[in-house]
Amino acid sequence: MLVVALAIGFGLSWYAVTDGRLVGAAQIGPWTAWPRAGSPEPDPYTKAYLARSGALQLGQGEGMQFIATADSDGTPLNRNCRYRIDGTTPTATFWTLVPTAPDGSTIARPDGPPGFNSARIARANDGSVQLYVSKTLAPLNWLEVTGDGPFWLVFNLYDTTVFSGVSSNDATLPSIIREAC
Amino acid sequence: MVRTVLYVFGGVLLGLVIHLVVILLLPGLASNNVATRLAALGQVNKVVTLDPVQPGAANPLRLDPEMSYAICRLDLTKGPGELTGTLPVSFWSVSVYDRSGAVLYSTTNRDGIGQSLDVGVFDAAQTRLLAEQKIDVDAGLLIVETKSDDIFVVVKLEPPQPATRDRYSAQLGKLACRPLKT
Repeated sequence: MLVVALAIGFGLSWYAVTDGRLVGAAQIGPWTAWPRAGSPEPDPYTKAYLARSGALQLGQGEGMQFIATADSDGTPLNRNCRYRIDGTTPTATFWTLVPTAPDGSTIARPDGPPGFNSARIARANDGSVQLYVSKTLAPLNWLEVTGDGPFWLVFNLYDTTVFSGVSSNDATLPSIIREAC
Repeated sequence: MVRTVLYVFGGVLLGLVIHLVVILLLPGLASNNVATRLAALGQVNKVVTLDPVQPGAANPLRLDPEMSYAICRLDLTKGPGELTGTLPVSFWSVSVYDRSGAVLYSTTNRDGIGQSLDVGVFDAAQTRLLAEQKIDVDAGLLIVETKSDDIFVVVKLEPPQPATRDRYSAQLGKLACRPLKT
């Protein structure tokens, strides 16, 4: 009985503050966000997540942060593969998309930009974006990453209408497609 | 058989209790939260600009490397505080954090504020005095009410180009973070 209790108690708690899809986190495709993380009165699960992550959250009035740890097929992101981030982005004043190691440090080439900035990318005629994250040379918008092992994509949307219910197509985020390894 | 099922059921119930206790206690027990990290960086009534995120270096606050950050810590026990100054033409946002890392208030320069930032932070008692007009403030002051007295105000500014980052950070450093003159 104690084994079951301990496993469920701590297992469920661990799940809630890391993945949290059932309790407070919202998921759109491969992207996960905690919509209540920037609110003045976060719910207990979001509070626990804030305490565990120790990250400086974006306020509700500032924007929304999405994190992807896996591609659109659910395979964890790996720095040895080439990924295409393809699609439209929600309405926002601007956004940044930064690949980081799981501990939060940036992994882009040290003498280059740390990530993509919506003001400094080339777009397709319909406004969609095609971004490449890889160690090897890629066309269009390419960010060179270094090192080995897993990584995260951190997508910061500033001054955005996502989750505000203004428009129905706001919650379309680009897909992450693994191209080559 | 029945006994085993009962034991498992009891285990599940006890597990849910443990889960609730863990989730509710975690925020109080966490020693490495936003507040302790910000407190290590900031001094009361002083604007501190954060160093840019270095490639590959640890980034415990998970700051956006594209942004410049300034922190101002306010102690409201002796009176309301303010953060005031002029910022360059670019996207910036201001947010007020309490000790638990919750964002009490946030806004961006797209809300019609323009380039000048004028935030006054008041706790509940000071807000009441304000409503009774016992505290006199300038018109146009953005009034933020907080529940606690230990407050962090964070300004995030987007340098339009990497080359302008130093100049924009310097501008952030010129913000004034001080007790509100009443």
